[in-house]
Amino acid sequence: MVEWRQLKPLEWCKYVNKKVKVTAQEKHQYDGWVFTVDPVSASIVLVTVQEKGGTATVRVVTGHAVLEVEVLQEGSEETACWLRDVFTPPGGRILSP
Amino acid sequence: SPRFLALCPTSISSSTGSGSDPVQMGEEQCARSALREGFLRALVAMTNKPVQFDMYERVKVHATFGSSDIDVLNFQVSDLHTPIGVQKEALLRCQDVILYSFDL
Amino acid sequence: SCRSSALPPSERPGERRGAEMKKLYGVDAAKIQGMETAMQLTFDRNCDRKQPKYWPVIPLKL
Repeated sequence: MVEWRQLKPLEWCKYVNKKVKVTAQEKHQYDGWVFTVDPVSASIVLVTVQEKGGTATVRVVTGHAVLEVEVLQEGSEETACWLRDVFTPPGGRILSP
Repeated sequence: SPRFLALCPTSISSSTGSGSDPVQMGEEQCARSALREGFLRALVAMTNKPVQFDMYERVKVHATFGSSDIDVLNFQVSDLHTPIGVQKEALLRCQDVILYSFDL
Repeated sequence: SCRSSALPPSERPGERRGAEMKKLYGVDAAKIQGMETAMQLTFDRNCDRKQPKYWPVIPLKL
């Protein structure tokens, strides 16, 4: 695989909404649904839920630590919808307090 | 800027590589925008939340997330619990971090 | 300032940055730049107010 950080935005996009296993430096492995990949740092934002409607856990693997990304499961329309709403701020919260 | 130089070859190669295809370049900009916006929203969602940082050398710390600079080089956090005590206000270097995680 | 001398000087929003943003983000450049500016302002303000120190003092990863 071409180095993760060297990929282009359209290539990172192919991972969005899919379930992946990320292998990172120091033998760490994380899996989850890809919400996005930061095009500046190549960091991957993974979301997982224990059960439907439960609390979502967000894990961000820093781009410099990513060694390999393997697709475990394709995304569905349902996944895409659910992921899209994960970070929708309640009540239109804005950046500055 | 260094950030632009790091990102620029992508857009240059896509615009010159296939005979200056403006459609492809537009698609790439669109993809980059969507990805970046999602990431910035995730960072905003992390504000004031307890966040765990898994760092190199198997160091694990947790803290309340404050903010990050736009290049995501530094995390500004409060109440950082380290193996050797609590630091009220701290900066973590992104380059020291492998994973950061939080619950929504 | 809270940032050590090891860091590059922070970017100032300006014409150059605007052109870079346009090339990278196309029609969405203004939106992305707006979000980034707000984030950077929060970071700068928090650093000024709280004076955080680096932890660990020496980087784990050079």
